[in-house]
Amino acid sequence: MSKLLYRITVTAMLFGLVGLFAIACQQPEDEVFRIGVMESLTGPGETYGTVINQSKEMAVAEINAAGGIDGKQLELIVEDSKCGAQDAITAYNKLTDVDGVKIILGTSCSGAMLGAAPLAEEDGVVLFSASATSPDIEDAGDYIFRTAINDAQLGVDAGNAMWADGVRTLATINESTDYAEGVQKTSTEQFVKLGGTVVAEEKYSSDVTDFRTQLTKLFAENPDAVLLAAQSEFTGGTIVKQARELGFNGTFYSEVVPTGTTALEIAGDSATGLKAIIPSPDLETQKGKEFLDNFRTRYGYVTLPWFIGSAYDTVHIAAQCLEQTGDDQDADGFRDCLYNITWSGTIGDGYTFDAKGEVVGLSNAVVEVLPLTERTEENNGYKVLGPAPIQ
Amino acid sequence: MLTRPPSWQRLSELARNPLQAFALSRNNVELWANLLIITFAVVFMLWKGATFAVTLGTVFAIWAMLSVSLNLVVGFTGLLSIGHIGFFGVGAYTVAILTSTTAYENLRTGAIPTFGWPFFAALPVAAIAAGLVALLVGIAFNRFRDDIYVLVSFGFAIISFNVFLNLRGITRGAFGIHDVARPQIGSWVFDTELELMLMAMALMVIVVGISWFIVSSSFGRVLTAIREDEQVAEVFGYHASHYKLAVWVISAMMAGVAGGMFSSWTTFIDPNSFILLESVLLVSIVILGGLATIWGSLLGALAFVLLEEGMRFLPFLPQEYVGQARQVVLGILLVLLMVFRPQGLVGRYKL
Repeated sequence: MSKLLYRITVTAMLFGLVGLFAIACQQPEDEVFRIGVMESLTGPGETYGTVINQSKEMAVAEINAAGGIDGKQLELIVEDSKCGAQDAITAYNKLTDVDGVKIILGTSCSGAMLGAAPLAEEDGVVLFSASATSPDIEDAGDYIFRTAINDAQLGVDAGNAMWADGVRTLATINESTDYAEGVQKTSTEQFVKLGGTVVAEEKYSSDVTDFRTQLTKLFAENPDAVLLAAQSEFTGGTIVKQARELGFNGTFYSEVVPTGTTALEIAGDSATGLKAIIPSPDLETQKGKEFLDNFRTRYGYVTLPWFIGSAYDTVHIAAQCLEQTGDDQDADGFRDCLYNITWSGTIGDGYTFDAKGEVVGLSNAVVEVLPLTERTEENNGYKVLGPAPIQ
Repeated sequence: MLTRPPSWQRLSELARNPLQAFALSRNNVELWANLLIITFAVVFMLWKGATFAVTLGTVFAIWAMLSVSLNLVVGFTGLLSIGHIGFFGVGAYTVAILTSTTAYENLRTGAIPTFGWPFFAALPVAAIAAGLVALLVGIAFNRFRDDIYVLVSFGFAIISFNVFLNLRGITRGAFGIHDVARPQIGSWVFDTELELMLMAMALMVIVVGISWFIVSSSFGRVLTAIREDEQVAEVFGYHASHYKLAVWVISAMMAGVAGGMFSSWTTFIDPNSFILLESVLLVSIVILGGLATIWGSLLGALAFVLLEEGMRFLPFLPQEYVGQARQVVLGILLVLLMVFRPQGLVGRYKL
């Protein structure tokens, strides 16, 4: 019996392989521009990787509905890079080798980006991310671009904002991930440089759900404010909620994650008054508002508006550059196009890329979370207080 | 069924009379099916996407080293360990720290000591470091057996992950380490995917060779005896704990070598590569291939890599769902295999 089943399994595997042949041997049509996409569709970065991918699919659908690029359709080949170097490398090699793409939009996570970047740099393939924020990517290479704002900038802005609000003693709590830790590190460095004191630091790993002990330790030092840097909305929201339950009355400062839809839902009214330093002007442009409306119509929800807007912009920038070069195999032309482009999209007007492939012309703003009753779908639950102060 | 490799004598016999070899294996459907799958896979890979195929070869070699070494502990000695990924991580971090040359001070995310060693000097150190860690935890683990062993090894996987994540002054925590050196002999740097695959395959052959030697030696027979009945082995005068500790350390050293190769291949590592889930996957590869068979572990690793990466070509699916679908299909296939072939592809024992 088991022998028979084994044979069936083996036969199924054989058929699978024959199927692979058939698919792989299909000749790609010349009438389309093909570019790759690598996002974390599974794994720890799934929540943002998936919506970012949806945003890109939407942008492509719009471009193609409007007649494509010079009459040619744009086609995305999506691969899952999870959130780590190994899967980024296999996904990268599959895209460049099997599909023969020279331009890849992605990845979601900095870890995946840093894994694929050396290969892309060597092969001359453009990697263009909408959401990888690690400071390490700055020096990753000539072909590496991103619309995401470097964490280092976010940290400086957060430090300045806290100092300008009169915060002098600070306690920090952050998730042990590259993003959250980077924000915590750069923010406190700036804060200390301005003369502030960090009285307590706590770190937690991503699977923790009870933060009361760590929070109690922070509050024992009587800080003016608490800086919260989270990677997942769940932990961000939970920390705010549990801190208020413990009777903390000071101000929370955070990066963008605790202002996400899920985080605000978890925190409820506890989040009121939380100040966050987030990329600005948070889709305040006309294009940004239209984009959010369209996204909501298409998918029924909106989350992390800046990042999905950023992803949407990367596709449109890619379309513009493909129109200029007229060849999806011309990575060098595409790279030069990115260096020279000035783009007005959903996340800001007139932004450019500098010699390191970092975005220039986008800045962070300070927002304050509104009381529960005033939160609506349109205002995302917070009001913009203004651009981040400069010291 | 090729449950164990044929001896040299047998091979030379068959080489003199190839027809006899054919006659012997004519009715062995599994053998031909396996050969056919492998041939298909190799031809497919080389036809369309040679670099991708070569990349998969590297992934296969790394997983194969891990699963063969884990099989020594789980299959041959009967100690179910799900902490193997910790040794993999120790090896990876050792090579990364010893060979990386990045000036981290400029990256504003915390500096760590850098040494700038060549890869081939760092690799033995990685094996020794993994072995030392294994010796330390092994002395403690030797007090436990069966279910408790699973739990303490589970604990080890969690602890090692948290050490990688929180030992910031050495591992750079969540930021990870870049610019891990590629293998280099003189001025010849192994920096193409093909060279790296050959390097990984060479290490795999060494690991498999040592494992083969171990299981066919008297040492290996004692291990099997311990698996079957530890008390009886003790009665016959073998110190079971010494043997268990020895195979545990050897297996960890092999995982350390795999880790070193891994970090040199990716050139970037962070703690996310060494989570418990990877360890569980590794145990499923060993069980998928078959306990107590080296061929089985190799086949299990091959089947796993082909299944997981082959899923990238799943047809008839909207692109949005391909990522998720891969995980679902992989899970279902593993469950089906376990249900219908609990002893694994070529194994003889159930867990």
